Amino acid sequence: MEYKAPAESYTGVVREITIGKGKKSLKIGGENILPFHFFDQGSNPNPVKFALEVLDMEPQDWPEHLIQPFRDVIDDPVKWAKKCEELGADAVFLRLVSTDPAVKDSSADEAAALAKKVAEAINIPLIIYGSGDDKKDAEVLPKVAEACDDMNLLIGPVQKENYEIVGRALLDHGHNASALSPLDINLLKELNVKLCKFFPAEKIVIDPESAALGYGMEYSFSLMERVKQIGIITKDNMTMMPIIADLGGECWKTKQAKENKEQGLLWEGITALSLLLAGADILILRHPDTVSLVKETTEVK
Amino acid sequence: MVIIGENIHVIAQAVSTAIREKDAKVIQDLAKAQAEAGADYIDLNVGPMKKDPEENMQWLVSTVQEVTDLLLSIDTMNPVAMEAGLKACQKRPLLNSASGKTDSKEQMLPLAQKYNCDVVISVMTDKGMPPDVDSKIESIMDTVAYANELGIPNEDIWVDPIILPVSTAGEGQRFAVACLEFIKILEDVLPGIKSTVGLSNVSNGVPNELRPLLNRTYMIMLDRNGLYSAIADPLDKEFMDLVKGKMPEIVELVYKTMDGEDIDLSPLSQKEVEYVKTAKVLTGENLYSDAWLES
Repeated sequence: MEYKAPAESYTGVVREITIGKGKKSLKIGGENILPFHFFDQGSNPNPVKFALEVLDMEPQDWPEHLIQPFRDVIDDPVKWAKKCEELGADAVFLRLVSTDPAVKDSSADEAAALAKKVAEAINIPLIIYGSGDDKKDAEVLPKVAEACDDMNLLIGPVQKENYEIVGRALLDHGHNASALSPLDINLLKELNVKLCKFFPAEKIVIDPESAALGYGMEYSFSLMERVKQIGIITKDNMTMMPIIADLGGECWKTKQAKENKEQGLLWEGITALSLLLAGADILILRHPDTVSLVKETTEVK
Repeated sequence: MVIIGENIHVIAQAVSTAIREKDAKVIQDLAKAQAEAGADYIDLNVGPMKKDPEENMQWLVSTVQEVTDLLLSIDTMNPVAMEAGLKACQKRPLLNSASGKTDSKEQMLPLAQKYNCDVVISVMTDKGMPPDVDSKIESIMDTVAYANELGIPNEDIWVDPIILPVSTAGEGQRFAVACLEFIKILEDVLPGIKSTVGLSNVSNGVPNELRPLLNRTYMIMLDRNGLYSAIADPLDKEFMDLVKGKMPEIVELVYKTMDGEDIDLSPLSQKEVEYVKTAKVLTGENLYSDAWLES
């Protein structure tokens, strides 16, 4: 008798989200299968995307082997972003770290002007994150949204404390929202429920918070896995959104990654691969070699 | 369902001050209010009662007995306070609680036998809290067998599966479902046994105004599965109305939700919709969030 492998089919479909416009755009999500379950019924129309991270100021604590690929451009975020494009990134992830009151407390206007310059200089989509300070982000992100009016960028982090003010601005200026909650599926759902009262669910990306290998990655893993399962299997309307894994920064903070290049690449690579298996749809990485490493590992040749 | 009124609880600042200052009125008012609201037992939860356990417990029990003849549940982990409380009760008390922990087996269960009282036994063991239904059943069977050997019959034992907050990230809903299942099969594995739960713990950590709805709904669900009693808040009028069978339509609706029936929410009142949504969270059908009524 011929053996027929069992194939599951699921009822949930992750919403497909477009970041950017026209030629400068990409799609994430849209899958109706669990990560890498290509043997089940359904498909993932948009394979995982890789964004490289750019800071709005010269990095203070990056090891030499991480700066090296960007050596000539590290003091100029616009050139740095173009370099990421040359290196094959699917998108640029601009982190406005200098706006953090504990870093430089640079102004919302400066940040907005820079964001616009970067968005216009590159031919790939742009993702913009504030510093993560919820109060300052509530000033900075609306200005950024306005400066980049109608570009359909992905902007975040939208958090419990500032979702109303930031969410409204993103809506008014035609952007997608990246909704961040601190490693907790119940809080994550709550934020989406509240945001969805005025913001379209079709324009939300979930940032469940990504921890690095050895520094709590298993929590991020189980959480992403659960978000994806509850979306795909039980069709929970508030978790059927694509997931962003903002992991590069977490990995390159570790002493292991700082020690030497090979270890750093593996640290970022293994974390990336694990979170892909858990269900991430787009990864934020820092080292271009990690992008090639993970692509090589996941693409069927 | 037998309701054990939870409001004399040392975590409440007013209660702890009243015990320390021997302010009888505060305690007696709480006891009377619960009795009037329809409670069957009054729980006296004094925590570890490190200071003057005998004297304090005696005072508390007689203070309450002056104003009500309801049965009392003596709720402390201090065996000295426990014995003083049991001794002072005029009617057959409930020892709340013992467990499968060695200390408890050695110090609490013999008291239940000595004073011939009812006893709450939780599923806890020296290994901690058994995580799933099978391990809960396994550990309670061990402890109940031990209690039987001491001469405590199943009929005097009130098993407590230990309810945990449904809002606990990721795990809470699994626990809520496990307790429902546990209560459902308990009678089959330990015939004649009774059961109780610390009901309000299911809503611990939830915004205050939403807690009663979770407590009420979970009570309906546990009651359907055969729960004998609950330590709960009798001052919640809607809760007591449900307990006394005054809201059969709501109960019916919660049962339908438990059965996975497809319920059309459009003709329902807001209150009915809230019960359905809450039941869906407690069955694990919908992922919990503090905004569960809003989605």
